[in-house]
Amino acid sequence: MSMLNKRKVYDITMQSLTYLSSIVSIVVLLAIVFFVFQKGYRLISWDLITHNYQSVTYTADLKEDQESGTFISTKTFDDGSFYSTKWGIAIKDDENLIGGTSVFITYVHPDSPLNALNNKGVGIEDLSVDVDYQIIRVAFDGASSALAIHGAEHMIEVWDSQDSFRELEFSTTGGGIRGSIITTLYLIVLTLIFALPIGVGAAIYLTEYAKNNRFTRFLRQMIETLTGIPSIIYGLMGLAVFVPLTIRLTDATGANIISGALTLTVILLPVIIRTTEESLKVVPDDYRYASLALGASQTQTTFKVVLPNATAGILTATLLAIGRIIGESAALVFAIGTAVKDDIRLTEKSTSLAVHIWSMMTDEPANIELSSTIALIILAIVLVLNISIKLLSKRMLRKQGVKK
Amino acid sequence: MNDSIVFNVKNLNLFYGEKQALKNIEIPIYKNQITALIGPSGCGKSTFLRALNRMNDLIDECHLDGKINYYDQDIYDQTMDVIGLRTHVGMVFQKPNPFPMSIFDNIAYGPRCQGIKDKQKLKEIVDEALKQAALYDEVKDRLKESALSLSGGQQQRLCIARTIAMKPDVILMDEPTSALDPVATLKIEDLVVELKKNYTIIIVTHNMQQAARIADKTAFFLMGELIEYGDTSTLFSTPQYKKTEDYITGRFG
Repeated sequence: MSMLNKRKVYDITMQSLTYLSSIVSIVVLLAIVFFVFQKGYRLISWDLITHNYQSVTYTADLKEDQESGTFISTKTFDDGSFYSTKWGIAIKDDENLIGGTSVFITYVHPDSPLNALNNKGVGIEDLSVDVDYQIIRVAFDGASSALAIHGAEHMIEVWDSQDSFRELEFSTTGGGIRGSIITTLYLIVLTLIFALPIGVGAAIYLTEYAKNNRFTRFLRQMIETLTGIPSIIYGLMGLAVFVPLTIRLTDATGANIISGALTLTVILLPVIIRTTEESLKVVPDDYRYASLALGASQTQTTFKVVLPNATAGILTATLLAIGRIIGESAALVFAIGTAVKDDIRLTEKSTSLAVHIWSMMTDEPANIELSSTIALIILAIVLVLNISIKLLSKRMLRKQGVKK
Repeated sequence: MNDSIVFNVKNLNLFYGEKQALKNIEIPIYKNQITALIGPSGCGKSTFLRALNRMNDLIDECHLDGKINYYDQDIYDQTMDVIGLRTHVGMVFQKPNPFPMSIFDNIAYGPRCQGIKDKQKLKEIVDEALKQAALYDEVKDRLKESALSLSGGQQQRLCIARTIAMKPDVILMDEPTSALDPVATLKIEDLVVELKKNYTIIIVTHNMQQAARIADKTAFFLMGELIEYGDTSTLFSTPQYKKTEDYITGRFG
């Protein structure tokens, strides 16, 4: 009787422990997501994603073939905007990022002459104004300048009374993370192009061709060990090997996206090799035998039968790889740098989303809000990729007739 | 008469590492006949079958000595084209193992591997193979469907069709009905008898009634040795050896 009771108590205790651990892990995960969401959701907007990071101030005047006219807008401006029919532009007073008041563009008529401006300073020649840009100053020949500090209403009044202006000073919107998103996408594509063929190839060699001997076992052991190496060490390697290599082969002058992708490739190879190997191993030997017995060569068997049946696993490997690419920061600090950029070139420094968070947090004071927003965006990207790859592999399995 | 011998096996010894799986096998296999290999589990009959198209090569530790002549060619000769051999000597396995692709692609797989790309020709080969495997009427409207949607018996006949599509000379069958129900089994048996007009068939079976029903010649294996080989009717009615008699009367095995 007591024996039975003892066992019962033991059973219940052990069961409760498993319940408890699963609850703890779920709570921790939810807490993280909640924290990120609660901190970051306020800043999330389409503008953040599409805008440049650096705000640039330009001084411009009209191109020679442009002049004022009458631009009737069908839009009604009831949000405090003032519209100039002569110039086809609506502006309003609003709070800027540092808490002061600025004049913001809320609408630009498609035919407005302000769509074709001449840069009077250095840099690109052709400029145009766009919604959310700030107007700092408009200078005229026949009137005193309209300044932002005098408000939008005054600015429109003066502007409307003039047929031309000498110069317009405006600044583009900043604070966006478009550059970092593009860098991240470049990194994903490039790294997968490098890493998938090599990784899958190595996995095929190890499972299909290599004899199970000392050398193969040693190789596997090495690969397994490589998965455990901290990524900052790979980053050092990227700096020591890939950065000089890319400088030699391309017009890069320092750390760049290609060297970053190569570094990530090295980081990902062990992951891809192992996952692919696992998925190749579960392809039934029956298929291999059937193929060989039909007079197919080993290579035909591997590429026509075994590999297609491992696609789901290889997609999983890809997914893990993408997750790692998006999440990697330590290695990339060395391999592509931490410069937040808007004009993304493969052979120049820039920063991925994760490194962007890192640089936001090393700012003084740390920008937790923007970091959390970027984190949210990363979460969303991972989620979307995850779901789409799941759907893809499901579709493939259905095509093969495997019910799952 | 010598011409009608397809496989001539002389003094064959086969080892898995240290363990000897086949001992001094001597057996001629005759053309356009069904030869059944019977014996208890682990007696070496499947091993022997796989030696005939060198599928044993895939097992790391396996090595053999002796001679297996396919017509007048030693198939274990250094210069032997193993892939070529397997196109002549096809194989059907115990468990139906169609590839997870369409019915058409399954059958076209072998010919495609040989470099046949012409769609019209592939279509002819597939139709012909399906007809010979008595599967055509059941699947002719669903060739694009996955082979895994077929029933077990249909899948096995598809595997036979897949082998036939290679236009082989010999078909090796390793217990092709052991995973099937009695009705599907009968269908396969009928098919095998039908196929012997065009092919030489060697079939491993656990089912002695099956051997008695369809085979022309029967070979009884025990512990890696070939105990008795002869006409099926003789072997089952008047076995020469006590061991054979004990086995076929069900006293062991």
